[in-house]
Amino acid sequence: MNSNGNQNIYQPKLIRVIDKIQETPDVFTFKWRFVDEKENEAFDFKVGQFGEFTVFGEGESTFDICNSPTQKEYNEFCCRVVGKVTKALSKVEPGETLGFRGPYGGSFPVDKYKGSNMLFISGGIALPPVRCVIDYCLAKRSDYAGLTILYGARTVDDLVYKYMLKDWGSRPDVKLVTTVDPGGETPDWKGEVGFVPAILEKMNPSRENTYVVLIGPPIMIKISMQVLGKLGFDPGRIYTSLENKMKCGVGKCGRCNVGNVYVCKDGPVFTYSEILALPQEDI
Amino acid sequence: METKIINKQDLAKLIDGLISAGARTVAPVKVGQMHLFQEVRSPAEAVFDYFLARRSPKEFLFPQTEPIFSYTRQKDSVKIHPVDMAFPRTVVFGLRPCDAAGPGILDALFAWDYEDKFWFNRREQTAFVSMTCAQADHACFCSSVGLSPDAADTGADLHLTLLDDGQRYFVEAPTGKGKKLVSEFPSLFKPATDSDAAARGSAGEKAKGLITRKLDLSNVKQWLGSHFTDELWERLSAKCIGCGACAFECPTCHCFDFQDEATPEGGVRCKNWDSCCIDNFTLHASGHNPRNIQHKRYRQRIMHKFKYYIDKFGKTLCTGCGRCSRQCPVTLDIAEVLENIAAKAASGS
Ligand SMILES: Cc1cc2nc3c(=O)[nH]c(=O)nc-3n(C[C@H](O)[C@H](O)[C@H](O)COP(=O)(O)OP(=O)(O)OC[C@H]3O[C@@H](n4cnc5c(N)ncnc54)[C@H](O)[C@@H]3O)c2cc1C
Ligand code: SF4
Ligand code: SF4
Ligand code: FES
Repeated sequence: MNSNGNQNIYQPKLIRVIDKIQETPDVFTFKWRFVDEKENEAFDFKVGQFGEFTVFGEGESTFDICNSPTQKEYNEFCCRVVGKVTKALSKVEPGETLGFRGPYGGSFPVDKYKGSNMLFISGGIALPPVRCVIDYCLAKRSDYAGLTILYGARTVDDLVYKYMLKDWGSRPDVKLVTTVDPGGETPDWKGEVGFVPAILEKMNPSRENTYVVLIGPPIMIKISMQVLGKLGFDPGRIYTSLENKMKCGVGKCGRCNVGNVYVCKDGPVFTYSEILALPQEDI
Repeated sequence: METKIINKQDLAKLIDGLISAGARTVAPVKVGQMHLFQEVRSPAEAVFDYFLARRSPKEFLFPQTEPIFSYTRQKDSVKIHPVDMAFPRTVVFGLRPCDAAGPGILDALFAWDYEDKFWFNRREQTAFVSMTCAQADHACFCSSVGLSPDAADTGADLHLTLLDDGQRYFVEAPTGKGKKLVSEFPSLFKPATDSDAAARGSAGEKAKGLITRKLDLSNVKQWLGSHFTDELWERLSAKCIGCGACAFECPTCHCFDFQDEATPEGGVRCKNWDSCCIDNFTLHASGHNPRNIQHKRYRQRIMHKFKYYIDKFGKTLCTGCGRCSRQCPVTLDIAEVLENIAAKAASGS
């Protein structure tokens, strides 16, 4: 299936930043719409897909579309400042124009999750890519059974989406557990203190009829996987999203190739059993 | 397959005719000590008595660098200027069968789900004319990857084999594009007789005899599947300096990078060849680099060509042209690496 007719797959479309939220000292949320109104109507994507975002003159970077597709008025991505493009992004203000290519990559099988309990585990800047699934499940709340969210960051300052956490925490149909690393708490911190895997172990979630979405720093994933293993979770029911370095996003430039997959096209969403089949060192 | 004869003078006329017809006509040209595929303005520039061009002809479908769009800044916005994706008719002469095989191997990659129109629009406009090899060296191993120095059907539209009179080429037209080229210049192509066909056969046998390097790749893919970690990688490839020359000369390496060149008024984004052997290929902005040492990068080269690509697209990502071995500044010989792997596979280690 070729989806692009005679189009140049490397040429971005113009989008406009309509709002910018500073989440933490180095993390920003951008809300955006296409400059061309027709594109806004036509745009659709699946939960967990990503885009290639251009800061003109600086370059292109990969970010997840972190809202649920059920939110139609605008889309969002959330970016941590690490290098050239992200630094330039941190200076972009509402009204400015960026480029967008996408949506690319595979998605979380939200239809398959229907009727199941969902356990979301995330750390640091990795909440945005999990949030799209959470938001989707919330938008279709009756399709899903229990929703449990475990989210941790180094310090209270490093927690992103504080406004969303407040909302989720106040919902009777969501179980939210937040934690910060030991030493990262403030005097008025009401959440847990401890690393995500340790809190997970303490929570002792049931594997019964449960799917897990697990995204975070490699070390958090590694130890959380050990805990989930102990609790008897099947790696085939644990989903994550890989962040291998990318350029084209469409399976051509070879950059994201690991083992038999091109992460941009075969992923970035994988089950843990699929990940275990890849050469771990290359991820 | 349609067969014909063309003599050397008429081949020159064919080149001349194509130039006059406005086609971008490319052939091996002598540049210093090496031969390079370049556009020729007259048939005299083309050199057919040669071994192999320094770089593969991949660049005529996928240039080393090319703009993919440009933009200008406006008061409150940005204007994108698309690049022209209509490409001139091009005929490339003098490929070897290994070079002619490259594009057909890469089509699947440039087509899966998203079509790279830079590749396919050029591909449509381009005809390849290959020639049976007259020389080979110790780096050549095409016959080990299923090709042959006289094969007409590795991907070329016309294939020429110089007969032993040294004046006439036996012409094979394995594709519709090749047949069209023949019918466009009917007076230049003469009928081929049975004895010409026999002479072509023996010239082909002679060419086959040039290949001395024979690798047994039958167990290599399987070995790679279970030896991502092995002492062999560091032992054989620690000396790689990550220059990327092997990928740049390769007919099948497809990796590229994007680079923006900008001024305050606007800019252009280019798509540039890249290589998995270069140290920053997988370097994340965070400093994390999964392939943080050279032998892991070289391992990717072998894995991608002789396992991953086969699993994914059904073809070996190598034509045995030997350029990477010949031109590697530290003489890292891909065939030697494969021989080592084959030996390990055979001995079960
Ligand atoms: C599928 C996917 C989803 C992602 N989602 C998010 C997200 O939602 N929020 C977020 O903050 N970050 C995300 N990242 C990581 C983000 O893409 C990089 O941090 C970012 O590209 C770094 O760009 P830079 O120009 O600031 O860094 P530099 O080091 O200056 O990078 C130069 C170029 O290298 C590439 N690059 C460097 N590191 C990475 C990397 N880790 N991944 C991909 N490309 C890289 C980019 O093409 C960039 O243009 C995601 C990465 C992937 C692959
Ligand atoms: S991954 Fe390496 S070997 Fe494979 S196409 Fe890219 S540069 Fe060539
Ligand atoms: S194998 Fe040789 S040509 Fe290739 S990157 Fe290493 S040193 Fe350069
Ligand atoms: S990002 Fe280019 S192939 Fe995956």
